[in-house]
Amino acid sequence: MKNWLTQNLWRHVIGISICLFSLFPLYLVVLSSFSSSGSLQLTSFTPTEISFKNFKVLFNDPTIPYLTWVKNSLIIAGSVAVLSVIIGSASAFAFSRLQFKGRKFGIQLLLLVQMFPAILAISAVYVIMERVYNFAPSIGLGTQSGLLLVYLGGAMGVNIWLLKGFVDSIPTELDEAAKIDGASAVQTFWLIFVPLASPVLAVVALLSFIGTFNEFILARLFLVDMESRTVAVGLQQFIGGQYSQNWGPFAAGSILASIPIVIIFLSLQKYIVSGLTAGSVKG
Amino acid sequence: MNYLIRGRVALVLKIVIVSLVSAILLMLTQSAFAQREYVIAAYLAISVLILALTYLTKISIPLKFFIPGILLLTAFVIGPILYTVAMSGFNYKTGNIISKEEAIDLIELRGTETSPDGLAFDLKLGKFGSEQAVLVSDITNLKYFVSTGKTRTEVAAADVTLNEYGVAVAAPNFVALNDSELSGADKAYSAIKFKYDEVYFIALEGLETGIVSRQLLEFDASNDQFINLVDGTLYKDNGRGNYSSINDESVILEPGWRAPIWFENYTKIITDPRVREPLVRVFIWTVVFALLTVLTTFALGLLLALALNKPIRGRRIYRSILVLPYAMPSVMSILIWGGMFNTEFGAINTLFGSDIAWFSDPNFARAAVILVNLWLGFPYFYLISSGSLQAIPSELQEAAAIDGANPRQIFRKITLPLLLQILSPLLIASFAFNFNNFNLIFLLTGGGPRNDLDGEIAGATDILISYTYKIAFGSSTQDLGLASAISLIIFILIASISLYSLKKSKVLESFA
Repeated sequence: MKNWLTQNLWRHVIGISICLFSLFPLYLVVLSSFSSSGSLQLTSFTPTEISFKNFKVLFNDPTIPYLTWVKNSLIIAGSVAVLSVIIGSASAFAFSRLQFKGRKFGIQLLLLVQMFPAILAISAVYVIMERVYNFAPSIGLGTQSGLLLVYLGGAMGVNIWLLKGFVDSIPTELDEAAKIDGASAVQTFWLIFVPLASPVLAVVALLSFIGTFNEFILARLFLVDMESRTVAVGLQQFIGGQYSQNWGPFAAGSILASIPIVIIFLSLQKYIVSGLTAGSVKG
Repeated sequence: MNYLIRGRVALVLKIVIVSLVSAILLMLTQSAFAQREYVIAAYLAISVLILALTYLTKISIPLKFFIPGILLLTAFVIGPILYTVAMSGFNYKTGNIISKEEAIDLIELRGTETSPDGLAFDLKLGKFGSEQAVLVSDITNLKYFVSTGKTRTEVAAADVTLNEYGVAVAAPNFVALNDSELSGADKAYSAIKFKYDEVYFIALEGLETGIVSRQLLEFDASNDQFINLVDGTLYKDNGRGNYSSINDESVILEPGWRAPIWFENYTKIITDPRVREPLVRVFIWTVVFALLTVLTTFALGLLLALALNKPIRGRRIYRSILVLPYAMPSVMSILIWGGMFNTEFGAINTLFGSDIAWFSDPNFARAAVILVNLWLGFPYFYLISSGSLQAIPSELQEAAAIDGANPRQIFRKITLPLLLQILSPLLIASFAFNFNNFNLIFLLTGGGPRNDLDGEIAGATDILISYTYKIAFGSSTQDLGLASAISLIIFILIASISLYSLKKSKVLESFA
């Protein structure tokens, strides 16, 4: 018994106390999402009531187009995830497997470019897209398609770099065999490489999805209309703007929007962590 | 699948996609060219050319893989980086946003003075012969005349038709605009100076009134200067994006334009105390913030990893709960924490029975920022440390134990140094990431609290990137030139740190 105390008790004490620390804000949000008072106040640790008022507000109040925001976020993050993996993996494949002039220089340039934090170029992107808007209003500043392009292009450096790391770790025997059998580079890519790398590609797509879903500042600069906003921007404006202190619906909205992300994250934890050690930091 | 790739279907599909993309890009090229966006137009045109060459000929196989990625990378990463470099060399801020031609037009347009007695007339827009003209009614004196840009023709009171307000609506040889013409006439007519007398002219104010004004500032294109027609003052291009008086450099005409000032935005950071002092303060906090974040998140993560490094009961449950803060979308968590720190209603003050105004006091605000970032970041280091702990060969620890080392000594002398060696690239990456952790600062404190009285925009928790954002997109003044210069300095800092870390972790060697 004494042995157990010295061996394991401290482990449980630390585990439990830090679990409380990590759960506290989350518990509070769940509590206030089911409370009708509409604030993030801590009145008691046990729920005194279970009211769905906040959820009803989210879905029925015409001034809060919550579902549209969710849809916008899903469409934008989904398209960015899929397209960036398709485009990025092709480039990564070429860097990793094909021989060509200037390969080394290209990789070094890519290394440098992917270090540039996208947020530093934000004023340049803003001014450029403002000018694009002047001649192409459908893809310039203020449009979702413009934002999508900026996300897609802006993350391209990091994505190619990350994917290149993964591609390098896939053994070359199979595509060398394909090459000996007379397969072209394009065939090797589609028939050998993509099926082989598909779990990795899926993880990169998911990381990219979560990253885009979380992106806040470009979305805020780009999307001015209430109807075109993403969940992150919509909910932030919701508690910052005229609805200040209206925490109930905010809590309900963030819980609903977070659940899918949390589930994806927890179920793919193992892969995501390996992606994280390969050099990306979740934002 | 194989058929799809080698066969005709693939070929047709390829041609369709390439032509479609090219067609869209060509359309964009054309409209960009029409709007005189030559750089963008050139980029688009070259893209079309490269696309067609790559996919419709057999010029290079690697290019087929690269092109989409490279085109996007060029447009949205390399382009903006170069644009940032260019902007940093310009006087590009509120008051100096437009081009020189636009600025000259605006100065001329605004460089007028109304007559001393403030004369204004009702008028009608129309045509006199083929020229654009106004029919002016001087209701007080019952005088009427038609003015064009060059001539003024008196009309006898008997010849005009008046409406119920006494305003002339028709006169001989004058054809009034109908309603549909009127709606589009605003721009063209506002640009005309309708003749009043030798000095004064009538400037349109809306569509039915004109104000008697005279030109005060006249542009002299051959000498690139403005002349004040009344007192004769000359205004010359001061080389920094403004026309300034030759008598007094500080008297400038508004608006200015974006003009190259080369390295002034950079030298200003060193020489101008109003720029340097807040920047140094912000820089110190940025480093302190990033260091403290890495230290606290790593320490807590490592502690947890050590505690849960044994297969104790409930380890899986602990693990699932512990990664929750990391799995939550960070934007939501930060906003929730922001609500929890609220002075009156916040859960933190309720929980501790305190009454702290967290975001009004600089030190409490800084503590809150560190605490929230600890919550957001410790699971990352917990996951990574527990992975690395298992990677450390247990023989070393066992050998030390046999030699009589106690657990604490084993940890300090063996485990920790090995762990630090494995994790140092990730610690550095985390430092670099938090160095630019814009979302946290912006959403939690907005950079505040700041002293409103001294007009300084940097707050106590502002880090470089959020401060730069305020400089570029601030509510009162926006200085894109200075913001770009600071951005590039941050980039150089971050890139040096990252390159150093990569070099250490020997990634660079694999290129050889």
